[in-house]
Amino acid sequence: MIDLLGLVPAILRVSTPLILAGLGVHVSSRAGVLNIGIEGMMLAGALAGVVISALTQNAWLGLVAALLAGAVLAALLSVAIHLLRADLVLSGIALNMAALAGTTLALFALTGDKGISSSLPSLTLPMVRLPLIDDIPILGPLLSGHNVLTYAGLLAVPLVAILVNRTPLGLAMRAVGENPEAAAATGVPVLRVQVTALLISGLFAGAAGAFLSMGYVSWFSQNMTAGRGFIALAADVMGFGYAWGTMAAALLLGTTEAITLSLQGFGVPSELLQAIPYLVPVLAMVIHARRRKRREAH
Amino acid sequence: MIRNALAETALTLAIVFVVVALVLVPLAMTQADPVGVVTTFLFGPFKSIRHIGNIIELATPSMFCGLAVALILRAGMFNLGVEGAFFLGGLGTVAAALILPLPGPWLAPAALLAGAVIGSSVCVVPGVLRARYGASELVSSLMLNFAALFIGLYVLNVWLRDPAAGAMVSFKIPADARLPRLIEGTRIHIGVLLALAACGLGALYLFRTAGGFESRIAGANPSFAAHLGLDVARIGLRAQILGGLIAAFGGGIEMLGLYQRFSWQALPGNGWTGVTVAILARDHPALVIPAALFLGWLQVGGDLVARNFDIPNEAVGLMQALLLVTVTAAALTRNPRLLRAFGARSPGAAR
Repeated sequence: MIDLLGLVPAILRVSTPLILAGLGVHVSSRAGVLNIGIEGMMLAGALAGVVISALTQNAWLGLVAALLAGAVLAALLSVAIHLLRADLVLSGIALNMAALAGTTLALFALTGDKGISSSLPSLTLPMVRLPLIDDIPILGPLLSGHNVLTYAGLLAVPLVAILVNRTPLGLAMRAVGENPEAAAATGVPVLRVQVTALLISGLFAGAAGAFLSMGYVSWFSQNMTAGRGFIALAADVMGFGYAWGTMAAALLLGTTEAITLSLQGFGVPSELLQAIPYLVPVLAMVIHARRRKRREAH
Repeated sequence: MIRNALAETALTLAIVFVVVALVLVPLAMTQADPVGVVTTFLFGPFKSIRHIGNIIELATPSMFCGLAVALILRAGMFNLGVEGAFFLGGLGTVAAALILPLPGPWLAPAALLAGAVIGSSVCVVPGVLRARYGASELVSSLMLNFAALFIGLYVLNVWLRDPAAGAMVSFKIPADARLPRLIEGTRIHIGVLLALAACGLGALYLFRTAGGFESRIAGANPSFAAHLGLDVARIGLRAQILGGLIAAFGGGIEMLGLYQRFSWQALPGNGWTGVTVAILARDHPALVIPAALFLGWLQVGGDLVARNFDIPNEAVGLMQALLLVTVTAAALTRNPRLLRAFGARSPGAAR
């Protein structure tokens, strides 16, 4: 009934922001900072990309602005939790609230419209045709011709895995995430490690946002992330602490979303399918927690 | 002690004042009449009985959600399912009001009860998963908020939708189930009295009953509570069930009090406002009342400014976000120098 092969481009398109943001959540979570503000950072990145690409007429500058916007919000979150010593979760919620309100205010100030940025001549990031692979029948159209950020997201997976598992920074991050007091006692600069992890997380969120407004569609609209940041949180939870796991979970959740989208207009009540990306992670958490509990019992 | 508590309150009020000014003044400066913006924002809400009514209308759901969050946080649980519980409570109440074949006076209470039980599931499921498997109630409740939204929209679309109405809205809520209005010229309904009563009962529960005492110990120091032999998991679950029921009941009250049909297409955001209310109230059920009224005032002020000037009411969202951070910021609220400046005697001894 469903043409799965034909769905591959759609799956990659829908999964790209989930992979990018999921990696962002993954990096900060390794350092013990659950980045609930990822949704707000994505939203800020999406708007910054549209505005700067429209102003400069350069899509790459738009992307840089999106990355910076994500990082700036990550820095603000760090100020809230490290400098002001506010609660991490509440600060994350506040960041999401502030980003939703702030992007709306900024959009209104720039365009006079609260809803959508279509009056701004913003650009999109290019599609990439892979040489050689592009010419292979069947495989070519599946693997080639996707947005540059789709490839960036897939390439980032092994890089993040190496960063977390094979570098001194990654080791320090995991030490801080496991037990900050013990890490501090052995001389790990806990604060610097957490701030770095948060900033990387913000860069990924900015990239995810840029994809939404400069790839997935070519405009910014109010609250356009629509809960994707929370699906990214879910992808990290389902990834059980591995970058590859996060990617696999993001692809799985993206696939259900792509199927939902393809079934729209066929009289299938899509609302139940839309609930799946939020129910599966809860099941995964239960399985994970049960296994951990059994292991501890032995 | 009292002197220090007063200093803490004064400091919180000062932070609130600074935050409101920090957002309002720069936005006002963008307009031709900045003084008009500020006076409209601050005093406009009190200029007519209708606007005062709006404040109370907006404060009613905030009281329920704020109380729910306060009880959950007090027990040391970080369950954010209040948002979804409020939504699903509203939907469940409308569904029950449309389906239950009950005579007039029984319809509203029965529908509210059904809605409270249905909606509370968004808080209860994460609570059970936490108590039984140790799975983080924070993450699962964030997920279930959205699951509740889409399952709720499915129920609305398939069973409750009125095909005669243009948009995706339910059939009309039966007139018998609607809550009576209290004051002519406003939309204030009987729900506000229930909200006030709930906050009062919440304070009694938390500070005058054994259950509330257990809850406060378990929240303040779970390992100490466990040493005392208290079942911390069960206490946490109880708080989440209670919070879920209250938030979902609030959603039902909102529907029967203000709406003709169920028409929410997204999460309404009242649960998040409830988080801000609970934080402003320092998780004290009685202080939830002024905190909810205060946020209602900000929202009405923001709406009036949006109607009369070129400033969207999202400015209030920005204020809420800043309040959430600054009021929980230990570096500000636990700062001995700041506390002393506001009249505290021995630093750090407050609370």
